[in-house]
Amino acid sequence: MKKNLLLTGILGLLITGCRDGFLTVVPETQLSSATFFKTESDFQQAVNGAYVPLRTIFNDRAWKLGEMHSDNTYYARNILFGAVDNTENIADFALPVSKGVTTNDNVLQQFRQDYQIIARTNEILSRIDDVEFDAGRKANLKGQALFLRAFAYFELVRYFGKAPLHLTPATNRDEATAPLSDTEALYSQIETDIKEAIALLPVKSEQGEGRATSGAANMILANLYMVKKNWAGAESVLKTIVNSGEYSLMPDYDDAFSETAGNKNNAESLFEVQYLEGAAGLNGNFFYQFVPTPILAEELAPLTGTSNPQGLSGENNNVPTPDMIAAYEAGDKRKDISIGYVTLSQSLRVNNKIYPYIKKYARKHSLHNNTGQNWPVYRYAEVLLFLAEALNEQGKGGEALPLLNQIRSRAGLADVTITAQAELREIIFKERRVELAFENKRWFDLVRTGQAREVITAYGNRIKANPQAYYFPPASNPPSNAFTVLDDYYPLPAVEADLTPHF
Amino acid sequence: MLKGTQQGTTSDTQGEFSIAIPDGAGSTLVFSFVGFLTQEIAVGSRTTLQVALQTDNKALEEVVVVGYGSQLKREVTGAVQTVKGTEFKDIPVSQITQKLQGRLAGVQINQATGKPGQGMSVRIRGQVSVSAGSDPLYVIDGFPITGNIDAVNPDEIEDISILKDAASTSLYGSRAANGVVLITTKMPQPGKTTVGFSAYAGIQKVPRKGRLEMMNAEEFAQFKKESYEDAGDEVPEEFINPSKYRDKDNDWYDALLRTAPIQSYTLSVTSHKENMSSSVVAGIFNQKGVVINNDYKRYSLRVNNRFNVSKKVEIGFNIAPQYVYDNTPRTDGDRGTGILFNALHTWPVMPIRDDSGELTLYNTFPGSTGNIFNYPNWVRASNELINETKNISLLSNAYVQYNPLPGLSLRSSINVEYLTAKFFFFNPSTATSAINVPVPTTAVSIRQSLENIGWLNENLATYAKSFGDHNFELLAGFTQQRFRQEFARIQGDTYADDRLPTIQGALNLSRGGTNNGIQEWSLASYISRLTYNYKGKYLLTAAVRADGSSRFGVNNLWGTFPSASVGWVVSDELFMSNIEKVSFAKLRASYGVIGNNNIGNYTPYALVNNTVNAAFGDQIATGAAVTSLANTNLGWETTRQFDVGLDLGLFNDRIQFIYDFYTKRTTNLLYNVQLAQESGFGTFADNIGEIKFWGHEFSITSKNLTGAVKWNTNFNISFNRNKVMALADGIDRVYGTFHITQVGKPFGQFYGMVKEGFYMTQKEVDDSPGVAGRSVVGGIKYKDVNGDKDITNGGDQDDRTIIGNPFPDFTYGITNSVKYRNWDFEIIGSGSQGNELWMRHLYSTANLDGVFNMVRKANDRLRAQKTEDSWEVFHAGNGIFGQTAGRDGTLTGLERDWPSSHFVFDASFFTIKNITLGYTIPTQNRFFQSARIYGSVQQVYVFTKYWGGNNPETSGNGAGNGDGGNLSQGIDFSNYPVPRSFILGVNLNF
Repeated sequence: MKKNLLLTGILGLLITGCRDGFLTVVPETQLSSATFFKTESDFQQAVNGAYVPLRTIFNDRAWKLGEMHSDNTYYARNILFGAVDNTENIADFALPVSKGVTTNDNVLQQFRQDYQIIARTNEILSRIDDVEFDAGRKANLKGQALFLRAFAYFELVRYFGKAPLHLTPATNRDEATAPLSDTEALYSQIETDIKEAIALLPVKSEQGEGRATSGAANMILANLYMVKKNWAGAESVLKTIVNSGEYSLMPDYDDAFSETAGNKNNAESLFEVQYLEGAAGLNGNFFYQFVPTPILAEELAPLTGTSNPQGLSGENNNVPTPDMIAAYEAGDKRKDISIGYVTLSQSLRVNNKIYPYIKKYARKHSLHNNTGQNWPVYRYAEVLLFLAEALNEQGKGGEALPLLNQIRSRAGLADVTITAQAELREIIFKERRVELAFENKRWFDLVRTGQAREVITAYGNRIKANPQAYYFPPASNPPSNAFTVLDDYYPLPAVEADLTPHF
Repeated sequence: MLKGTQQGTTSDTQGEFSIAIPDGAGSTLVFSFVGFLTQEIAVGSRTTLQVALQTDNKALEEVVVVGYGSQLKREVTGAVQTVKGTEFKDIPVSQITQKLQGRLAGVQINQATGKPGQGMSVRIRGQVSVSAGSDPLYVIDGFPITGNIDAVNPDEIEDISILKDAASTSLYGSRAANGVVLITTKMPQPGKTTVGFSAYAGIQKVPRKGRLEMMNAEEFAQFKKESYEDAGDEVPEEFINPSKYRDKDNDWYDALLRTAPIQSYTLSVTSHKENMSSSVVAGIFNQKGVVINNDYKRYSLRVNNRFNVSKKVEIGFNIAPQYVYDNTPRTDGDRGTGILFNALHTWPVMPIRDDSGELTLYNTFPGSTGNIFNYPNWVRASNELINETKNISLLSNAYVQYNPLPGLSLRSSINVEYLTAKFFFFNPSTATSAINVPVPTTAVSIRQSLENIGWLNENLATYAKSFGDHNFELLAGFTQQRFRQEFARIQGDTYADDRLPTIQGALNLSRGGTNNGIQEWSLASYISRLTYNYKGKYLLTAAVRADGSSRFGVNNLWGTFPSASVGWVVSDELFMSNIEKVSFAKLRASYGVIGNNNIGNYTPYALVNNTVNAAFGDQIATGAAVTSLANTNLGWETTRQFDVGLDLGLFNDRIQFIYDFYTKRTTNLLYNVQLAQESGFGTFADNIGEIKFWGHEFSITSKNLTGAVKWNTNFNISFNRNKVMALADGIDRVYGTFHITQVGKPFGQFYGMVKEGFYMTQKEVDDSPGVAGRSVVGGIKYKDVNGDKDITNGGDQDDRTIIGNPFPDFTYGITNSVKYRNWDFEIIGSGSQGNELWMRHLYSTANLDGVFNMVRKANDRLRAQKTEDSWEVFHAGNGIFGQTAGRDGTLTGLERDWPSSHFVFDASFFTIKNITLGYTIPTQNRFFQSARIYGSVQQVYVFTKYWGGNNPETSGNGAGNGDGGNLSQGIDFSNYPVPRSFILGVNLNF
């Protein structure tokens, strides 16, 4: 018996002896910040992670805030569905606004995703110089991080006009919020970051596929200059892109856009948000958010080509408006490439059950609700159109014409010969609308050119006068407060306002 | 024992003994036995003696199991309530906690779902926390286990002690704040070997009364017809003549239910030998659920052995293996998982079976009838989906106790808990639990395996000593515990053949659904307690525990939890001796500090997620991102509790009365403080805020009749209140699902718009505050709470306010037992007053758009006729539901989509939980010593005004896998109904 007691005592002592270690239990199946950011590979992974929010932004939000919030697309009301205000309010210019903030969820999610990119890149940029590895590869990673941070702030400044500026990672509750910076301060930070990124990043042919390049970074700088009406600056940067020899127009407009598993990041592409079809969770499904509903499986199958088509109900979005359809000149090849039609037998509309849809994103794929085509953010076609615009604004219409006509001739349209500045400005603006249709450019263009209020008011009046032409079923109308909130910028999100003392 | 010598003997199992007495006539024998008065008998010339010992009333006074020991009930200074296993043995349910409903003061036990073996929520003294767990700590034979006690075979239990105040619980330190439930399993009692067998069997069914009443097919068609007519639209052909559905009703809910058997068998053997005693309990429990294809089985065994190695050394081994099988259809939750909820709102005009009697695959109606959903066949979903869990568990203790000196006891123990759980889910292509998923669907399989291993080593020393009338007992000890969980999950989908749902048969392995993980924690503690009393009249206990936990931040690794309590047995004082009616009176007071360490295992660490992957071209690139902020100061939640109590016995203890008042303050609540997401993070784990709790508990036990008819009554009632005193800096509220927890208000209140009624005229719409573009005649009218003439849901012009309370004003229980000759009868009731439920399913079961079936009460909805530019009310209805004439989701959706008092209903109830009638067969024969047969009815009747479903105790979440958590209690998703059971049982002793 004494042996047993002795044993117990010894056991007790043994366990007691290692007590300090006993109370340290670190997570075994997750990395923690203490063990991460030590090697080049860690930074490579962190940079990859910083691209990820772009998938969410372009799949779920950007087309609402940038395209449906314009005269290019609208929703097709299904009166059996409520709880669709978040998206309808954006298309209807009826955002609930109170004290400068809005409860709209799309606005909130866009804001948050941009700051996800900013926080991730801040984490990288604040730590990468402390770790030794190959200078060239480090420059590339830093360049990508700076590009993404500038990209996110450029979205924020164009959506909101003002935003909190974070350039270092938050380490505690106090550092979580920052005062609002105004448009000029944000422009200035974007310019600083993107110029540094241009210097650090390789050209497209020397960069890994799908990643940020000096060409894409130059395009952001050019876009910033276009917004700021710094025409000469834009011209110079855009010419750098043209002269780099890295880019060209795809001969066929349809080929400018990626397939679900091919033709990605093609010669025309400066920057695409990358999706991958399959079970890895990197796929998109934006076409399924655009496809008109209620649609039966057999009506959907020809559009998607999947092996397992399933019917969809709900309320469909991003439907090309009659205005958009009418914007194409006769003979424009882009019209039938961009827009298709489908008949919905289950539609509640009585006389017309035919709906347009965005055909250029209807790429054939394998499985229902799982697509892999990339989202075109910047294409060479826009480089040419920006450059034409920048030249025309400086009175160099003659130089602008060949650029514009490259675009038109691909579309099967006759050359423009007018060089009068005001008329050419209008022509280039129209050309942007059809060439870049459904690429989330329209709202930014309306704001940038100071036409938002005028164009949208007229568009709203057309809808109110004839709701059925804008896909409303009989006896259904846009809400009474539609087309009343016509500001150039979105209000900041209310949920975030509750959490910061700064707005 | 021969007086004056060391000679002695013990009696055998028949009570017989023999002893040699050297000098015969002058000797005196001393007879002693635990629990009996010692008796001395002069032997004289006799050679046989028959001795009957008198019971020792003093010593037999109830002994109460308390933390790390036991105490005489009269000397307990804390708030402790004990229930004997024999008190609940006849109640035909699987879980101990179900058996305790209605019996405990200050403990609210609710059954959130009727699923066999699941869904009990136990809250001691109204304890809640924002995000740490609120379940009490369960301690089985001294071993604080990590899970709950749902699967423990109730027949293994000797008694249960509920420790409520801080003085009773503080020896459990950082795990004590939610209260402690001590379970003692059956140990062999002195006496002879006994063999017992008990069994019961019966049926369960869901009574018609109490179910949510939905429209039948004809009523539904009539409703559809009227909604088109009111809107001035053409009635679809399918609904022009509702009477054609008269004999073609499809009650989808009823189709999922069945009458199901329940049975239980327990065999127990105890033996008590000189140096070894043993108790074995083996059980089989088999419950088919009242929802088709629901099956719950439990096979359990417990062996408790005790060896007296020498007079000073005792060794014990307890081992309890168990196997539980559970297949549960996905009954609970929202549209995605809850087939019961889905069945309720499925159109009753849709056929369950086709003309040939086969179950339909799915049903749709043409879009022209307003149908927008595809309704899979829920009977198939219940039958064909596999959702099974197989658990093998083992609970084991081994101890050595050494008593080197009188009064000194050294005890060392090793305790082990082990669980391996295998979960298998398969959704074949032919069925789905979610609405609007087309059938055939993508077949999905999930396999999950989980292994828990925990051990505890305790080393305790106890020393008891009396100096005259001063009695001391000192306890000191050191304990350490470690727990590790490993789990793995594999999800595959897209099967060529439903018959082979193997992993290798899946065409896809789901990246997001396939993962594994490890959870681990450790705890090292020192404990000490001093108990002192003077003449058993003035009582004092002081205790302290120091806990070091791996869960706490490095700057906050150790916590100390002290307590003290005093008691005064007033009835022992001289001045009370002439108050004869008062047989016993004790005043108690206690104060202590206790903690709650349910804060997650790795909360202090900043975690990096390395599966934030990106695609580049056709390549996958692994990505990583920091996903949380570190807090090296993170610690436990602290509760300071004060308790005063009075124990009173009247008329020679015929009436016993216990009263407690408590007040407690919980501070340092663990909370993931919301961060502005401009930081890139959503939350920051921190210790914040303060909640104040207080309450009263009364219980009374009365022997109403003590003659030939014995009639006892137990009654208890508890009042629990709380108020949130503070949250984090700059944060005055935390939202739940439809709830708010706000500073200055009680915890977890329902939150939303206030329904004022309906707009009755266009003038009323024009003149009243409303929602732009959505408020219409006959539509719901909300209150303009902030007076800005505008109705706004959320944001800065918010009109939401507190609109209800899921927590009761008081809970109560009453038990009456009557014995007459060989008959025994017991009736148990349990009630709750003032609690409300959020009838969440109304957003579907009373969706005015007409896309779902409707509750029958909507027959009497408000009706309005469409006019040229407005609507005109022609029937006011029952005031619950608005008009359908808008026929536009934007208009009717206001009632459905905005959280409001429209959904809040009183759910006060009184339930007769159980009635049992037993008869003890008087004859002893050669087969058995005693036999009793009984009949029992469980969940006899629920008295309530609540009409949203069968179970006013319900609480659920959308995923159907929990009760909503602390912040979101009391949401009715139409969970699994609680059945009524009728059983017959028998108890035999051999």
